[in-house]
Parts: sequence; structure tokens; C-alpha cells
Amino acid sequence: MSLAAKHKILKWGAVFGGLTLLVFIYKVYNPVENNFFPKCPFRELTGYKCPGCGSQRAVHHLLNFDIRDAMRENIMLVLSIPYLITGFIFDMLKNPGPKILLWRRRLFGTKAILFILAIIILFWICRNIPYCLSLAPGFN
Amino acid sequence: MENQNSNQRPPKTWLVESILVTLFCCLPFGIAGIINAAKVESRFYAGDIEGAQRASREAAKWTKIGFWVSVVLFVIYIVLLFAGVLTAVSLDELGS
Repeated sequence: MSLAAKHKILKWGAVFGGLTLLVFIYKVYNPVENNFFPKCPFRELTGYKCPGCGSQRAVHHLLNFDIRDAMRENIMLVLSIPYLITGFIFDMLKNPGPKILLWRRRLFGTKAILFILAIIILFWICRNIPYCLSLAPGFN
Repeated sequence: MENQNSNQRPPKTWLVESILVTLFCCLPFGIAGIINAAKVESRFYAGDIEGAQRASREAAKWTKIGFWVSVVLFVIYIVLLFAGVLTAVSLDELGS
């Protein structure tokens, strides 16, 4: 086996091992009950929540198949999963035909991307103001 | 001109990776990635292939920076945590 091939196996082995460990940790331990999880730097510095706040708690609930609690922690993360998977599949497709390209452009083109950017910014603002507290982590 | 490239795929936009960086780590790098993803698409379909490739490289740069910053922050956090735990344990031993 060539050195490059060995290197590749080692690299993907490390990635796979690391991911398995992370899935195990996030499934078993709830970030609310254990203080060894990293805190959001933005929230630590400013006191405001960022669009990613609640992601660790949401992942914990998702790994335990508790979608409702996951949505309460970070609804954007939960709702983005089908979109991200679709995007990943579109990226992986080899030699896409015109129909696929058309759908790719509709779902992941300039307008779609700007729409997503707007959602992220609105979500960011909204979860920091009282009227939108239902979207904030830890609030029902 | 407008539809000249519509039967080809634009360069990689790094959109999925940028959204993941925004959600799991570093908002500024994620947003920079997303803005460049939009540039890749708009330039490509306007016929500016070279500009689209440049934006693609920019998007890749910001998502990779976001990824490595999160890894480094994570490692620093774990090191500090262990240092803290070890200090606490040794203090405990001294106390007992």
C-alpha cells in the first residue's frame, strides 16, 4: 500500500473515531447538567445569544430522538437539517443533468442564499428580544 | 449571456459548510462564507467564471478558518478544563 493511501486511511479513521466519540458524549451527557461543554464565546462576551446558541443542547436532544426539546433549544438548527442534507447530496452528485441543475439553482442559488442569510440575521435579532423569546434557548 | 452557464455546475459554494460553521462555531466566519457562496452563484450565472472561482476560494478560506478556530478553541477549552480539574483534585488531596 502506498504512503498516500495509508495516510488517507489514517485520516478518515481519525475523523470517524472522533465523530463516534462526539456522538457518544453528546448523546449521553446533557450540556445543561454537565459543565464540561464549551460555552458560546459570543454569549460569554456580550451576554447576547447568537444563532448557534443552544446547538449543543439541541444535538443532545436530537441524538436521543427528542425533536421537540431540540427545537426549543435551537429551532433553526433542527429545521436546517433537511436543507443541509439536500445541499450535501447536490454537492456529491457527479455530472448533474439540466433538471437537477435547475433545482440546484432554485434551492441553492443566489436568491436562496440571500434568503438564508436574512433568516439567520432575523433569528439572531429575534431570539434576543422579548417578543421572540419563544425562539430563545431555554425558554418555552 | 445570462443563461450561457446554466447547463453547468457552478464552482463549490461551501454553503452547507458555512451554515454548519455559523451554527456550531463562529458566526463571523460562517457569515463571510455564506456571502461568498452568494457571490459564487451570482457571478457564475452572470458569466463571470473567474470571479466565481475567486469567490469559491474565499468561501473555502473562511469556512476552513471557522473550522480550525473551533477545533483550536475546543482543544484550549479541554486543556483548561483538565488543568482546572487537576488543580481541584490536588487541592482536595492537600486539604484531606
